[in-house]
Amino acid sequence: MSNAKKLIIEPLRKTNPVTVLVLGICSCLAVTAQLKPALVMGASVTVVTAFSNLIISLLRKGIPSRIRIIVQLVVVATLVILIDQFLKAFAYDISKQLSVYVGLIITNCIIMGRLEAFALSHGPWESFLDGLGNGLGYSLILVIVAFFRELFGSGTLLGYQVIPQSFYEAGYQNNGLMILPPMALIVIGIVMWINNSKTETK
Amino acid sequence: MKKDINSNRYIFLYATILIIVVAVLLTVTALWLQPFQDRNAKNEKRIQILTAAGIPDVNAKNAALLFEKHCTAEFLLDENGNPTDDNGLPVFVIDRQTSVIPMQGNGLWGPIWGYLAIAADGKTIVGVAFDHKSETPGLGGEITTEKFQGQFAGKQIMENGSTLPVEFDAITGATKTSDGIKEMIDSTLEKYSAYLKKFAAKGE
Repeated sequence: MSNAKKLIIEPLRKTNPVTVLVLGICSCLAVTAQLKPALVMGASVTVVTAFSNLIISLLRKGIPSRIRIIVQLVVVATLVILIDQFLKAFAYDISKQLSVYVGLIITNCIIMGRLEAFALSHGPWESFLDGLGNGLGYSLILVIVAFFRELFGSGTLLGYQVIPQSFYEAGYQNNGLMILPPMALIVIGIVMWINNSKTETK
Repeated sequence: MKKDINSNRYIFLYATILIIVVAVLLTVTALWLQPFQDRNAKNEKRIQILTAAGIPDVNAKNAALLFEKHCTAEFLLDENGNPTDDNGLPVFVIDRQTSVIPMQGNGLWGPIWGYLAIAADGKTIVGVAFDHKSETPGLGGEITTEKFQGQFAGKQIMENGSTLPVEFDAITGATKTSDGIKEMIDSTLEKYSAYLKKFAAKGE
């Protein structure tokens, strides 16, 4: 497998930021009650991880190691605020969707984790791909968790009713627990279990 | 000459330059984009007012035009419910009959706000529009959906000249946000009660 391909593929399963590195769990609880917010959050984190990785990698030779965390935080926060400002001006609807996530993106451990572990010691192109891969890995877990939570919690997917009305008439009920954060933890646990039992670790 | 990137001098210099660059970048962007953002915010307000009043198919493109067409009066009220010039409670009249009043309140994580449209009889809700800054998506965030807002139309808010507390189906898993909505509607009606009572007096 080529290096570039490996950087994108590995974080999807083998080194998945959520199920293997166990990062970004809090945002997984917050935005997975429905599928749509999970998709928006996944896309935003992917964009920010990729570009902050790229910027930090370009700066890496000049960053003093004693203040590197602060520099990383400043870069991530600036990037997120800039994106938010542009969306507010030119794509107001998307910005309304995203407003809630802005704070969650900045504090997402995956971004800082990739900057620390990868971008500081690798070239810009590799870092960009690594950010992209990890963002996608994170999105994948969000979407899986949100799929089950929305399906069993509200009987819908992306807002469309999928569980037929006849089920409800026959006595089926939406599971209220699925909507609440504890169930997200349980679903993530199950996803983690399945993923990690099927992935070989050395 | 090789720079020592861990010397105090370099660190201070680096941090200072970084902060200045970031500050300038953010300030310039914010100032440059301000007019666009203000326009969007104003448009959003119009969309909410028109949607609450039951005007169909309002979107970002036609909001200004429709607002011009439907909003027949816009004034401020003093505490006795009479029009005043400054420092009053705003009212927007849509199509000469529906009064739309703004609401502000607190959700779980941050402010929530919206508009309440009241029919010409002064006691029936025509519709509502809610929005929020940071409620949890899929839980408290559901207050912006048609499904939640739809249930308010037709509810009575006045009886025998006094305001009634509003009752509605709360959102599962979003108790605090739902409480915030109730608190917001009740306190807004309280503030506008003098204005609403006048309708009742006229009707009888």
